Amino acid sequence: MCPVDLTTHIAGITLRNPVLTGSGTYGFGEEYAAYCPVDALGGITLKGLTPEPRLGNEVPRLVETPAGLLNAVGLENPGLEEFLRSYLPKVRKLPTAVIANISGFSLEDYVQMARALQRDSGLAALEVNISCPNVKHGGMHFGTDPKSAEEVIGAVKAVTDLPIIAKLSPNVTDIVEMARAVQSGGADALSLINTLLGMSIDLDQQRPVLANTFGGLSGPAIRPVAVRMVWQVSQAVDLPIIGMGGITRWQDAVEFFLAGASAISIGTGNFVNPQAPLEILQGIEDYCAKRGMASVHELVGLAHVS
Amino acid sequence: MGVCALFEHRTSIIEPRIREGAGEMLTEGLVVVHECLGEKEQRLRRLVIKGPIAKTAKPGQFVAVQVQDSSISSFDPLLRRPISLAQISPDQDEITLLYRIQGRGTEILARACCGERLSIMGPLGQGFSVPKEGELWLIAGGIGIFPLYALAQDALARGLTVRLFWGGEHQRFLESAGLLQWQALGIPLHLSTLDGSFGLKGLVTEQVEEQLSLLFGQTKQEQPLSGGSIRIATCGPKKMMQAVTELGRNFGVPVEVSLEERMGCAVGACLGCVCTLRDEAGTLIHKKVCQDGPVFRGEEVVWDVSC
Repeated sequence: MCPVDLTTHIAGITLRNPVLTGSGTYGFGEEYAAYCPVDALGGITLKGLTPEPRLGNEVPRLVETPAGLLNAVGLENPGLEEFLRSYLPKVRKLPTAVIANISGFSLEDYVQMARALQRDSGLAALEVNISCPNVKHGGMHFGTDPKSAEEVIGAVKAVTDLPIIAKLSPNVTDIVEMARAVQSGGADALSLINTLLGMSIDLDQQRPVLANTFGGLSGPAIRPVAVRMVWQVSQAVDLPIIGMGGITRWQDAVEFFLAGASAISIGTGNFVNPQAPLEILQGIEDYCAKRGMASVHELVGLAHVS
Repeated sequence: MGVCALFEHRTSIIEPRIREGAGEMLTEGLVVVHECLGEKEQRLRRLVIKGPIAKTAKPGQFVAVQVQDSSISSFDPLLRRPISLAQISPDQDEITLLYRIQGRGTEILARACCGERLSIMGPLGQGFSVPKEGELWLIAGGIGIFPLYALAQDALARGLTVRLFWGGEHQRFLESAGLLQWQALGIPLHLSTLDGSFGLKGLVTEQVEEQLSLLFGQTKQEQPLSGGSIRIATCGPKKMMQAVTELGRNFGVPVEVSLEERMGCAVGACLGCVCTLRDEAGTLIHKKVCQDGPVFRGEEVVWDVSC
């Protein structure tokens, strides 16, 4: 079998391979170093940043649900200034593509962060989170109203030379409308999907389990929703898609490529198996090789061809 | 379940295997003992796992065990279960996990048979600090006793004086949860039960206070005494650990507490298991129970916020 070319081009950046890690599940890139060599990854996406430091929500922040995980961390992060001072010097040295993830509570928040994060910072791209379900106005109103989404993407695009990846919320009636809006705003790529809003109630306490009441659902439970959205969006817009949502095995990843994703991201799957990225990468390569494909790119959107 | 007679045979056909590139933090441990601990109604289990973790683990650390029925591949339950190390035997390459079946995950874990392999991350987190000399008081509530056994063994091996204060619901619980093993250590035991069926009736903290008062006399919070060479390590219900921390403050005895929180990644990446601490400047900060803990200095923990 010929070697499969795993190189992936997305949003103007070249990735060693199409396997990334999801924001909020991989810290700032060092936490999993003992389990998964970071240079084996196509890239990592950092924990979401806000202009000011945030302590986030109270605990409990997590609750396991059938084949899933509800989380309400609430964007705990060190804030932009501390990130630039203490984290950026380390993450820019990581031997992989590093994507920063930014969240905000106003248009100005996003602009402030985008302005501070430029190509010379050593980052590969900016993922704009307009979809956090776990804080009040945690960007989610930007992610559920097409006009606001277009505006915020347009505003960050105007102030940074980094490629912009818009991370969309699945908590909308029409994901295609949102994708079109951020394309109009100037997004270079899309991340699909963020978590689905959910909740869980403790039968003994007769109260919500999460201190925040609601949380974002991730894990295998949401994968069919994510695959459907990738399918729909890939038919409607020209932007490359980073597919995510419940990927824990290589078969899941291949499903996303077939649906139209150009790269995939592993989030909650890392918690289950910290070597999931390595195993999934190997599985993708083997799948392509067995079918005589020269490049992983040949897989993208293959299920659409009638 | 029970000690598996087939164990010797099984090890010869299944070679120990460490997944490539993982260092030794993600291993597949061989189940060598998995048995009911004490009477059945207490739903306690003893799980002994062979693997390299024992070589580097320290008392107070934990492992994250995958709880999947090996006969059916499934992602339900999804997450690993954090379980503290009750015994560390580097010479045998064995760790002992004691746990109570209290949900779907531990129910499935309880089905793991001898000869099976379990995917294990660890050793994880920061354990107890073992003082170089002096006296170590261990204070446990309920199954908070489990991680303290590894600490007791380590401390005794280093020549420290150790005593245990342990409170449980009733005699049957204490006996099921390892009373005999503790008695075999030959250290002073101060036992209490809620129903008075064994030891003194009441809370374990009452006995701690009594012993501290005997040694140091009565004290008031405004004038903390110097607790001399005593150190306290505690694990159990949050309210108990809070009370122990308070006693430690009053009598000038440093206290280490082992916290518990729902965990996601177990390596500090997801921020699911934070606790609230007060730093030296008095500012409220979050620390990760999985990575910065689970053991913290009692006095830095803010008990009434979220931890």
